[in-house]
Amino acid sequence: MLEIKNLHASVEGKEILRGINLTVNPGEVHAIMGPNGAGKSTLSNVLAGRDGYEVTQGEIIYKGENLMELEPEERAQRGVFLAFQYPVEIPGVSNIYLLKAALNAVRKHQGLDEVDAIDFLNLVREKMQLVKMDEQFLHRNVNEGFSGGEKKRNEILQMAVLEPALAILDETDSGLDIDALRTVAEGVNALRAEDRSIVMITHYQRLLDHIVPDFVHVLSEGKIVKSGDKELAKELEKSGYSWVHDAPEGQTA
Amino acid sequence: MKQLTEITTPFSEVAKSVSLPGAGLDWLDTLRQQAQGLFERQGLPAKKVEDWKYTSLWQLSREGFTHDAKATTLQASEVADVAVLEDAYRIVIVDGGFNAELSNVEGLESGLTIKPMSAAWEQAEKLLGQQIDLDKPGLNALNTMLMQDGAYIHVSADSSIAKTIELLVISTADNDRLASHLRHLVHLEAGAKATLVENYVSVGETQGFTNVVTEVNLADNASLNHFKLQHESLGHYHIATLASRQAEGSQWHTNNISLGSKLARNDIHSQLLGEQSHVTLDGLYLVTGDQHVDNHTRIDHAVPNTTSDEVYKGVLDGKSHAVFNGKVFVHQDAQKTDSSQSNKNLLLSRSSEIDTKPELEIYADDVKCAHGSTVGQIDQQQLFFLRARGLDETAARSLLTYAFAVDVLQRIKSEPIRQGLSNVIEKRLPKGA
Repeated sequence: MLEIKNLHASVEGKEILRGINLTVNPGEVHAIMGPNGAGKSTLSNVLAGRDGYEVTQGEIIYKGENLMELEPEERAQRGVFLAFQYPVEIPGVSNIYLLKAALNAVRKHQGLDEVDAIDFLNLVREKMQLVKMDEQFLHRNVNEGFSGGEKKRNEILQMAVLEPALAILDETDSGLDIDALRTVAEGVNALRAEDRSIVMITHYQRLLDHIVPDFVHVLSEGKIVKSGDKELAKELEKSGYSWVHDAPEGQTA
Repeated sequence: MKQLTEITTPFSEVAKSVSLPGAGLDWLDTLRQQAQGLFERQGLPAKKVEDWKYTSLWQLSREGFTHDAKATTLQASEVADVAVLEDAYRIVIVDGGFNAELSNVEGLESGLTIKPMSAAWEQAEKLLGQQIDLDKPGLNALNTMLMQDGAYIHVSADSSIAKTIELLVISTADNDRLASHLRHLVHLEAGAKATLVENYVSVGETQGFTNVVTEVNLADNASLNHFKLQHESLGHYHIATLASRQAEGSQWHTNNISLGSKLARNDIHSQLLGEQSHVTLDGLYLVTGDQHVDNHTRIDHAVPNTTSDEVYKGVLDGKSHAVFNGKVFVHQDAQKTDSSQSNKNLLLSRSSEIDTKPELEIYADDVKCAHGSTVGQIDQQQLFFLRARGLDETAARSLLTYAFAVDVLQRIKSEPIRQGLSNVIEKRLPKGA
């Protein structure tokens, strides 16, 4: 599904990622954890193709294609989905319009016709139940006036409608109270599938209580310094991030 | 003053050489002569006149327009194609003159009169010219001197007209360099209600000049929903005045959408002369290439307890230039005035230019006035978000542009009008969705 090899990336000339290696197979859920400034958000932005992130070395192969050669929309059309840490508000564009335009962009790439209006509404209604969203949200402008939790649920709704092959969840737990976290996690869990991979990027272990990963990686100073199973996350919870700095690959500042 | 003399010449000669409808009516001859005297003194406004600082009429003055219209070959189907509404009373002006065949002003609801101005001078006599300031630097004098036709619309007291009136002013390629000077008068008696769409459009490519003055007189508690759509050819000139006098409790809701023409100028003036009167001035301009659009609005709060609400939005692409000047004048007696104004602009290109200027002049002390103007670009975060959801860059930009402009449309309550205007606007969106 996704293979990241020796990835180096810079922002404004400053190197943030310093040789990341990661392989994600279909159906796997990977958690990438790390302290602030480790490069977590840079990694998700590089994967989604945001401007201003320069890959200086290494490669990212997604389903056999060089991801770095694709525009953000081409990545999305091929099944890469980024759930944003800070979902942006778009006054003047209704949620339902966005969902439909996004779904049709994916369908067009797949050589399918635009979705039928009634089929679409049925699909969206079904997916809204996954994240316990009221139908009135469809007709509101994208994220405008939404609470933090509503914005994150809206991201998962988009994921549910688009059914991506690879979902990158960037700090999806941040700013959520426990009830909202549970709802979002249930939504994500319902979307786990054999042919779908999920990469969760998070600072805190608590998300992993709700979405249990197959693999946990610790990112520190732009490198994965430790990988393991879900037990690794618990270790981190107990000891904090400081101990990973003592690991052989770590470079303590 | 040499420049001004040069500018006046061609139009003044026209006035001497053509025979205008209504000639021979004493009061009309006197009015036209008065206007001619003024125009010969003033000429076209030069850029040193404050209100015309950003809009030059020099090029217009060199165009050498004709004033003789050939008979039109316009078909009913072509009129239907450019109409905003399917179901409306239609008064159609083609190349400067009323066209009875293409109009649909039969079987009107009771209380409604629609006539070509060229056949309504007598009815118009009392109010014609009362809403505008003939002396003001601009084209009011030129328009009055040469006014040839237009629409006369009257609604009698307490009549509520259900069907919308569409006033279609069509310039055709049959007369592609024609200057037309049109005068409309809309008079609503006490308690009357109506909806009017003015639609200025070219059929084929035109490089003419539409010079129009619309006068609106609203008696006590009258209410007019008034839309203006201007989407003439990109070689056309359009200069308009839209002016109202509003009595107690009257409501004037305007929506001014400017998409076409090489040069478009609107002077919109609301005079709130009776208590509890209200005006809404909404507008949207969408320009590209080397288009120039200038909207000057002025609201006079002349008496206590009046309200105004103004939202103008602009989208500029290419090397276009837009001007917004919104004056709110609160007179000394106009206590408890409540006025809000905003002008927001989206620049899609580096070489487009906006000059925006809210102007408040307040001589009363117990008033609420808010105003603001902004100039911005496409939000990069929003653009990336949409692209990350699979929309290509062109579609994403187009959607964000539409989203910026859409609230002006969302303020329109009538569904068929909103739909009709959206259809036209969507076609003009930069880089099409």
